[in-house]
Amino acid sequence: MLELLQQGFGAVFSLNILMLMAVGVAVGIVFGAVPGLSATMAVALCLPLTFTMGPQAGLSLLVALFIGATSGGLISAILLKIPGTPSSIATVFDGGPLMEQGQGVKALGVGIVFSFLGTIFSIVALMFIAPQLAKVALSFGPHEYFAIAVFSLTLIATLSAGSMVKGLFAGTLGIAVSTVGIAPVEAVRRFTFGFSELNGGFSMLTVMIGMFAVAEIIKLAESGRHAVQGKARSVSMKNIRGFGFSLKEFREQLPNAGRSGLIGLGIGILPGIGAGTSNLVSYIIAKKRAKDGHTYGKGNIGGVVASETANNAGVGGAMMPLMTLGIPGDTVTAIMLGGFLIHGIQPGPLLFISQGPLVYTIFAALIVATCMMLFMEFYGLRLFIKLLDVPKHILLPIILVLCVVGAFGLSSRLFDVWSILLFGLLGYAFVKAGMPAAPFIIGFILGPMAETNLRRGLMLSDNSFAAFFTNPIAGTFLGLALAFVLWQVFSALRPKPSAINQILRT
Amino acid sequence: MNTPNKKELIIGIAMLAASLAYLVMAQQLPGHAGIDAATVPKLLAGFLSLLGLMQVISAFARPKAAAEAASPVPTEAEEPATEIVEPKTVIKTLGLILGYMALLGPVGFPIMTVIYLYLQFLVLTPVNQKARHLTYLLIAVICSALIFLLFREAFDLLLPAGLLNDYI
Repeated sequence: MLELLQQGFGAVFSLNILMLMAVGVAVGIVFGAVPGLSATMAVALCLPLTFTMGPQAGLSLLVALFIGATSGGLISAILLKIPGTPSSIATVFDGGPLMEQGQGVKALGVGIVFSFLGTIFSIVALMFIAPQLAKVALSFGPHEYFAIAVFSLTLIATLSAGSMVKGLFAGTLGIAVSTVGIAPVEAVRRFTFGFSELNGGFSMLTVMIGMFAVAEIIKLAESGRHAVQGKARSVSMKNIRGFGFSLKEFREQLPNAGRSGLIGLGIGILPGIGAGTSNLVSYIIAKKRAKDGHTYGKGNIGGVVASETANNAGVGGAMMPLMTLGIPGDTVTAIMLGGFLIHGIQPGPLLFISQGPLVYTIFAALIVATCMMLFMEFYGLRLFIKLLDVPKHILLPIILVLCVVGAFGLSSRLFDVWSILLFGLLGYAFVKAGMPAAPFIIGFILGPMAETNLRRGLMLSDNSFAAFFTNPIAGTFLGLALAFVLWQVFSALRPKPSAINQILRT
Repeated sequence: MNTPNKKELIIGIAMLAASLAYLVMAQQLPGHAGIDAATVPKLLAGFLSLLGLMQVISAFARPKAAAEAASPVPTEAEEPATEIVEPKTVIKTLGLILGYMALLGPVGFPIMTVIYLYLQFLVLTPVNQKARHLTYLLIAVICSALIFLLFREAFDLLLPAGLLNDYI
């Protein structure tokens, strides 16, 4: 393993790739920091840039964007009191008050350093756990894959915000849209309406760009002309040594950070829920366990530590099912999956055997990007703060142009440009209907995998569905999926104020 | 029975309509006896219709207030309550995007991007700000040229040049 890792670092440490990654981290931080832009958008928009790069350079850039955008959310969470991404909601609780008390630099420093530690922790965990998981996954057949796909989808559909019916509908609709194109097994053309462009189905990238970026622009048009854009206050970096907090404060927060890291990692591994949930959960637990719990929410650095460690620890967690099973845990890893596929890499258990060096290049890139993030985000802070002030009505139209370029770049045809408009409208309709977009995306990606494996499994077992339940692993996952739906129905019938909802309301 | 929550009912009907359309199309797929390429779409269509139906029923079962309390959408909670929604701006924006995409091929990326960006900046300018025509035009031209040349030279992506084809 050490030898492979050494090779990986060797590949990353070329001037070309390091420069690409520095740009990637910076762009990622901006996308994370500006409310309305997201990590998903950053990766989706930059993916077309990597088409002409080799897999090592391309994947390093995507990884850098991912790391930058995940931690960038804390900047606006602390300075504007608006979480840049859902994963930094809990950072606002204590980061906001700290800023008001004139300790903004300390909050930012703590947030950035513990973001760094959380990410590194999860990457190390990823490096040790993923190869083992891949070995187990090697023995999986179509029955198991189908069951895991269904389980992941159920989890993401039921846990997304809003009603379960809508979540499940969104997920199923995603699968339905993925059935467009030539069918697996039989090669029958389905729902192509005579368009030869649709033979391969809708491209994943057009779906994601449409649902997340184009829909966001249409949404801005709705209320943007009346929205008041928060003005980011700058912080003085004078007389700041290190990262703005003392070693004693750092030591005091270590138990909290360790616990939050584990929570973030655990929740990150589960498909469907990720950093958006783990930051709240670890905040609540940190508040309960802390001796000075009553000061949480009034400017305790512990709150920032819990939230930021947990959401960044989700990075390694989310990469685990992606790299070992080819199942994305959330929308960002879904778009990463797209990136892998474009560079000819099929994530799955075989990845570790067939592409060992490349896997460790990705690990090395993750580590290098995290270190870059630590220094760039803190010492380049004033630049990022300036970028927060770029007006939305200038920024988003430019993003739309980049969306069009990205869609066109997929295969140089205008058909894909029209597709992003179609999915943009769908995404906007989803927003209006209070329907979550994430299950749709995951359904769209897992749909072909579920269908192909269902068909294969049925062939193996002579068209008997029973084999899916008698297979121990497949049966367990399907049972868990069913239990989850039942549990959700049960708790919906007996409404209890959950801790997270309570926090969200306050 | 309570009066149905109108918004949720409309959503439910839209869900049902989409499901039924998909069902009809799935039925028309060529197939053979047993499990074929139409099996999964049919199953999906059935499940979608079921969910659509549940949504319609729940719109009747829950009065408006309870429905909103039961499904708090966090993204909505963060937005200020007194938000002004302007359908006119949305339609203008959609029109602009539509025009941009339609003319991208014939007129070309460089020219259309300048026109689109300039007009879109104007449409989205906040009500309490004045439109700065010169700045907008400058940003539009710089962005268009920068993106076009960057992709052409650095990333080997030839965006449609359209009318400018003979000059670039």
